[in-house]
Order: sequence, then structure tokens, then C-alpha cells
Amino acid sequence: MGAQVCPPPGARDRARTQAPNPAPNIPAAAGIGLRSPHLDEVLCTRPAVAWFEVHSENYFAAGGAHLAQLERIAERHPLSLHGVGLSLGSTDPLDGRHLERLRRAVTRFEPALVSEHLAWSSVGGRHVNDLLPLPYTEEALRHVSRRIEAVQDALGRQVLIENVSSYVEFCASRIREWEFLAGVVAESGCGLLIDLNNIYVSSRNLGFDPDIYLAGIPPSAVQELHLAGHTAVPTHGRELLIDTHGAPVADAVWDLYARALARFGTLPTLIEWDTDLPPLATLIAEAAKADVFLGAAHAQLA
Amino acid sequence: MPSLRELQSDFLEAILGADALAAPAAPRRAQERLAREIVADTVGLAERLAIYAHNAEHHYLASLRKSFPVIRRLVGEEYFTQCAREFRRGHPSRSGDLHHVGAPFPAYWKNKHGDDAYRYLADIARLEWLYQETSTAAEHGPFDLAKLARVPPAAYETLRFCLHPTARLFASEFPALAIWEENLRSDQEPAIIDLRAGGVRVLLVRRVEGIALRPLSAGEFAFLERIGKSDDFEAAVAAAAEADPEFNATQALEKFVREQVIVDLVQPLDGGLCAC
Repeated sequence: MGAQVCPPPGARDRARTQAPNPAPNIPAAAGIGLRSPHLDEVLCTRPAVAWFEVHSENYFAAGGAHLAQLERIAERHPLSLHGVGLSLGSTDPLDGRHLERLRRAVTRFEPALVSEHLAWSSVGGRHVNDLLPLPYTEEALRHVSRRIEAVQDALGRQVLIENVSSYVEFCASRIREWEFLAGVVAESGCGLLIDLNNIYVSSRNLGFDPDIYLAGIPPSAVQELHLAGHTAVPTHGRELLIDTHGAPVADAVWDLYARALARFGTLPTLIEWDTDLPPLATLIAEAAKADVFLGAAHAQLA
Repeated sequence: MPSLRELQSDFLEAILGADALAAPAAPRRAQERLAREIVADTVGLAERLAIYAHNAEHHYLASLRKSFPVIRRLVGEEYFTQCAREFRRGHPSRSGDLHHVGAPFPAYWKNKHGDDAYRYLADIARLEWLYQETSTAAEHGPFDLAKLARVPPAAYETLRFCLHPTARLFASEFPALAIWEENLRSDQEPAIIDLRAGGVRVLLVRRVEGIALRPLSAGEFAFLERIGKSDDFEAAVAAAAEADPEFNATQALEKFVREQVIVDLVQPLDGGLCAC
């Protein structure tokens, strides 16, 4: 186990005084990650999907048909903006232009939830446009917490931070990832978006127990769950799991999801699918499966 | 122990360095330093870093593929990917938002094929990028004619008019619009188009029903081009008359205001720059 992370003085006050989110809450039901090839179909067929989440950067434009389409969808469905490019953990200065575009998108769509990743993707002005892992050190904890605070101040609202899939682990990491997330919550007042596929992928790649991970997450901070598919690649006598977002949710991840619901209670749960995007009906079927888990958890918790 | 900054610099160099144009030894040295900072695994570090490198390239190339579907079709998937990789080495991503990485792609094609039989490709790429700009630019309401009525006639010549934020001008010595339209739909075999069939001048502007592509005369093109560069009305009319002696400035102004291509005006005293 790594070092215990204690919140600094005043952290709890910050968490308490964080501005409440203005839009209606997202229900504790399954939603779908909405990608542009499905916009027309969603508008035309009005599927009974509880809520949608989109990548924030896809709606940074000043105008255009996609923005208008999403505005119409947001009139009927709760919406979540999920960023992939803010590079929260980077040691470069926070990208003010990116943050301003995010602020404009938040103002335009009034999403119920806004989220980003516990990751970095740039240094020296060069961007990887992928979610790179942080070393879990006190230095990184202070750094990323200050950045999250700056983002929350700029947006005037709380953001959720999501755990990412990892393929490497830094020797310098004295803190376990779940403890790091709890520390970030305590220091910045952010909420958490827990991706169960990412926990599973990292647990298999790096060799930790996903249930210990779940047990280390403060339940009151968790406001959203993610489910997605991964790919197993046999190599060097074992399997390396790659977070592809291009397959159905694996059985082991569904099982972990059930245990997460037992620990955190029923929560808005997103089906994410990005590569080899299937028909909308496939995503709706995956969401229906998540709703069955949510129903069972609700019955058990009642 | 390296600082967070040093770790991130080595990590990024190890992932992206192999794709950069500079010093091939740098990524190797970065990976050697990084190997001392990463927990060992039966799967080697290079193999694990390759996952991130693959993702980085995949996202970048996906953005280019989405922005330039006709170029992709014209040159084929294999050559497009080869060129997109070469382009990326010279134009690494500088933003967390990949929607803008394709801006210099038309210039890349001009540089690559500007002197051979494929020089029309640069024009097609430019048209595709302008189409994307038109698709995503800001909205704007119609011209406030009362604002024009308040301008004394003596001040007309020094007025600067403003184009709709989505308006873009495109000209080519090739039948680029026909080539683009013929290759937009991937479900049908495109017709053969004679590259000597003549050039084209087009205005792209976004309307409620979609992107409109309107042919322009030489005079109209010169007129709108000067307005788009914030030249005053007199200079725009002079340029249009030079391109087309028959150009009628009053008719053109009335037409483009009516069609909401010209949507505002500024006077020199206002600073002479369009807000849009």
C-alpha cells in the first residue's frame, strides 16, 4: 500500500462550497456516448435513451449543424460533456483557449455533468491527443489538484475526474491510483467518474485487485460510471489488455460493475463506444443491459 | 528522482520522437531514461509505449481522414495514409482539439504535387478545408439596413463591408468543384472529368438547409475577395471593375446583402474591422 493521503486544511470547505451544477440531474440510468454518425438517427427516431454524453471538443466550433443538432437533443435529454483534450496533468500551462472553448460549450449546452480525465497529453506545446498516465506522487497530486481547481473556477462549477487505462506504472508512484483519486477529490472538491473498464484493464496490465480499488474510492464523490469494451492481445506468454472502446463490454467488467453498484449505489452509467462504431441499436442494447444491472442493484439496495 | 516535468518530457519524446523530423537518437535516449522510471514487466517498455504511439497516430490520422474524404478517395487509402504520416511529422499536433490539424494540409499537397500532373489535388484539399470552415463558423443575422441608411452617401466609398462569418471564396484553374462533387459519394463510381474543362470560382456560405456553393463571376469574386480582406468599398469596386469591366457595383452590393453574404458594415471611425 502507498502512503496515506490527507486533505490539506480547507479542502473540505472547498468541496462543500463548490457551486452546485445548474442543469437537472442525470438519472441513475444507462446513457449512451453519442457520436456524430448517430446524431441524425437520434433526432429522427427519438430513442428512449435516458441521457447522452458527448466529447466536449466535438462541440467547440463557433457554429454549425452539429451544434444545432445537439441543442435539439439536449432539449429532450440530460446531457454530459466529457473532455478528452484539456491535458489536466500536464506541466505545461493550462491551455486558456481550450478552457475558454469548454466554458463556451458549457454555457451553450448547460450539461448536467462535465468531466475530464486524470491524465496528461502534452508537454512543451506538443500534444499526443491520447490519455497518458501520471506518476502518483505528492508532487503530481498537488499539481493536478490545483489545475482541477483552476478549471472549476473558470467554469464556475464542479467537474468529474475519470480514471484512465494504463499500460505502464511509474517507479515513483508512492500512492495507489485509488488513493490518488481520493486525494484529488479532497484537495480540489471535484467529483469522480469511475470507468470500470479502465479499472479492469489497468488491474490486469499492472497486477492489482480491482475490488481493493473500488474499496478505496470515496462513494460520496462518485457521480457517474463508464462501461466500454477492450481488446486482449496475447504477448510474451500473457495477455495485454488494450482499452479500445471498440467492442461490447466484457463479462468480467459487467461483474465489476455489479460490485461497483453495490458499493456506490445506483448511478448514471454510460456505454462508451468510439472505434468501429456499431449501429445505434447495438449501443441501445448495451444500455438496456446496464439498466438490468441498475434495476437489480436498486432492488437490493431498497 | 526526475521531476514531473522531466518524466513527461521523456515520456512524450519516447512516444512522438520517432515520428519527428529531428534527431532520431533523442527518442532512444528518452526511452532509456524512461526505462529506469517505469516498473519492469514481461512485456517490454517499447511495446507498451507503442500502444500510446499507435493511439496518437490513429487519432491524428482519423481527423485528417474526416476532413479530407475526397482527397482520400482520389489518391487511395494507402497513399493517403503515407502522406498523412509524412504531413504529421512536419505538423505535430499543438492542441488538445484535433479539429484544426488539417489547416496546413492543402499547402502540403501544393508542396508535394505543385509541379506535376496532380497539382489539382492541392485545390481539392483547399476546397475541403474551406468547406469544413464554412460548416463550423459562427452564425450571423441578416444585414441591419437601418444601419446602412444612417451612412451619408458621401461616406460610401470609405465604408468597409463584412462578409457572413461562414463565407469562404474558392478559385481554381481546374474544374475542382465538379471533381469534388463527383467524389463526395463513396457509393458510386465517379465519372471521369477532364482537367482541361476549365476553372471555377465559388462562394461557400452556410444556410439553414446546408452549405451553399454558388458560382461567381470574375468581378463578383474580386469584389467579395477585397471585402473579405477588409478593403474599403471603393477599393473592392475598383478590383471588381478591373477583373470585369461590366461589373455593376450597386447591383452586386444589393444582391449580396439580399442573399446575406454581406451582413454588416463598419466605418473607418469604428476602427474599420468587422466584429464577425
